[in-house]
Amino acid sequence: MDLILITRIIAIVGLAAGLVGILLRLKEIMRRPFKKDLARQRGKPWRGILFAFTLGMAPWEKESTRTHWIAYLRGIFFHVGIFTAFAVLLASPWLEALPGWLAWLAAAITGLGALFGYTGIVMRLSGPNERRLSLPDDYASVFLSSLFISLACVTLLWRPALPAFYIVTGILGVYLPVSKIRHCVYFFYSKFFFGMGYGRRGVLGQSRGKFTE
Amino acid sequence: MFTDKFKDQRYHLTEEKAALALDVLRQRLNRQLEASLEVCVRCGVCAETCHYYVSNPKPEHVPAYRAEQLRKVYRKLFDPLGKAAPGWVGAAELNQDMIEQLIMTAFGSCTMCGRCVINCPMGVDTRQIVRTARAMLTAIDMTPEGLKATVNVHLESGNNMGVSGEDFTETIQWMEEELQNEVCDPTATIPLNKKHADVIYTFNPREVKYFPYLIQAAAKIFNAAGENWTLSEESWDATNYGLFSGDDSAARQIARNLEQAVNHLGAKTLVMAECGHGFRSQRWEAENWLGHSYPFNVISFVELQAQYIKEGRIKLDPTRNTKRVTYHDPCNQVRNGGIIEEPRYVLRHSVMDFVEMEPHGAENYCCGGGGGMLSMTEFASERKAAGKAKADQILATGAEIVATSCHNCLDQLDEVKRHYKLKVKIQNLSELVANAVIWPRSPAVASEDQPASEPV
Repeated sequence: MDLILITRIIAIVGLAAGLVGILLRLKEIMRRPFKKDLARQRGKPWRGILFAFTLGMAPWEKESTRTHWIAYLRGIFFHVGIFTAFAVLLASPWLEALPGWLAWLAAAITGLGALFGYTGIVMRLSGPNERRLSLPDDYASVFLSSLFISLACVTLLWRPALPAFYIVTGILGVYLPVSKIRHCVYFFYSKFFFGMGYGRRGVLGQSRGKFTE
Repeated sequence: MFTDKFKDQRYHLTEEKAALALDVLRQRLNRQLEASLEVCVRCGVCAETCHYYVSNPKPEHVPAYRAEQLRKVYRKLFDPLGKAAPGWVGAAELNQDMIEQLIMTAFGSCTMCGRCVINCPMGVDTRQIVRTARAMLTAIDMTPEGLKATVNVHLESGNNMGVSGEDFTETIQWMEEELQNEVCDPTATIPLNKKHADVIYTFNPREVKYFPYLIQAAAKIFNAAGENWTLSEESWDATNYGLFSGDDSAARQIARNLEQAVNHLGAKTLVMAECGHGFRSQRWEAENWLGHSYPFNVISFVELQAQYIKEGRIKLDPTRNTKRVTYHDPCNQVRNGGIIEEPRYVLRHSVMDFVEMEPHGAENYCCGGGGGMLSMTEFASERKAAGKAKADQILATGAEIVATSCHNCLDQLDEVKRHYKLKVKIQNLSELVANAVIWPRSPAVASEDQPASEPV
């Protein structure tokens, strides 16, 4: 067997383990009771949910993200890098067939994403609050994700890096469900509950009220 | 620090207490809570959203840090790596140190105002996490003394200040006479135990005990609007400190008292006094504590005043309130209750010079008096220090009057005013409205057309 095939199997096995782990997590949270709200709604929950997943994520919408716009945008670009790296992973058996401009675009996005990922580690180490809050797992998760994006970028520019990309993918897959990277699953739950709660109470994402002048 | 404040033996953790607290966590772990416990990435952008942090910037005042204290316990119970490698993911046993951390963070430096919640990019509900921690501590009798006593007095006497039925009815009669004298109209009444009224009104026991003129102000507005209203002798206390202690059982009992009073009189709408947490408890939480929906509406007096103005049921003369007024949004009414535009609408119609503080509305800073803080004397100095963010906001408006619609806010703002030497007057929203009310009947017409009511 050649190196690419072996490492590809490592990546697939790692991702499969990650998927099983995530499914177990999903099973766990779905096993918990859902707290149904019996109070009469004041606003529309669906508007709150829509807000939570759209405009509510805009950098200018929350005071926290306005204040920390550099950290927030860093996080956004980092995550765009992660998603692009996964796209590169899916396309990896056919990289030669990628149009040149697309490969360069993906390399630029993943390169920037990786840079923003490593910057995140520096920011955690340099900010007193962030340093106090951060756990070893935070550093490991950000580092592993950044390495994954870096290798996606390098692979696009230099094909022999593909086995390394696959190996890191396998490790990432195994680590994903047991680390903080699993927030990618809980994010959808927390934003949904956030939007529903504040939507019901008429606090966020609602149309103008009858007392607005 | 902890041992200075909590000397009593009941704050010592035993194995039985630890097991009970963990049971409470297991029981309360629903999807919403689990999502909030799992999703935090510890980015720390929530720091400046907290008035404790703004007033005293240190890592322990970052909301994520507070939530982390309960997360440590949660991870030890439910996270595979938390069990295998606790140091790696920040998991911890529920031991005496951890309990002290939980008390100092959940009770001592968080008002559960929810400002960090609306500002969290991940949607973490720190309010829910902190209330869960409080529930665990309350279950093992580790609630700070003042908060515990407030809940107990309410359960034992029907109101949180132990006001007797006799004191209550005498105060109501007295305020009715005062109102009749003020408006020179003997038909102005404060009905008690009236059946099938459209509106049943509640108030904070502090109004009966220390600020009866607020009862008079509310009565003036109801009478001016021609409302078919009543009070109930059976239950009238709007407060519910079970919300703050995390004790759902006590909160349920207190909520049930009011529910029964409304049902016994057959009123259509329960109007909560200008009491932030009381409104939130009865409007948003009580039906969940009780496990069924109410057959009546629950609204805030702020909403009702706005409605009266909108419908032309009360006429106001804003020239009676000429001083510059700013408004402090009580967290439990605005962020946790959705009452954003109503107080502004009311003030624009009842005062000449209304100015917003920045930020305001759902983004408003907590005054520091929420979360039952005023009852926990152990944390009084921290509470006053945390009021600095609010003091700075008030100062920047140049206002002479700070209006609000919550008794805990009134008390805290009064302390903030004295502590930071602000030259402002703190007033209830309804006081300003009552002052601006144009009495609908001339004294002469009123006394000729309608007979004076008998005192209740």
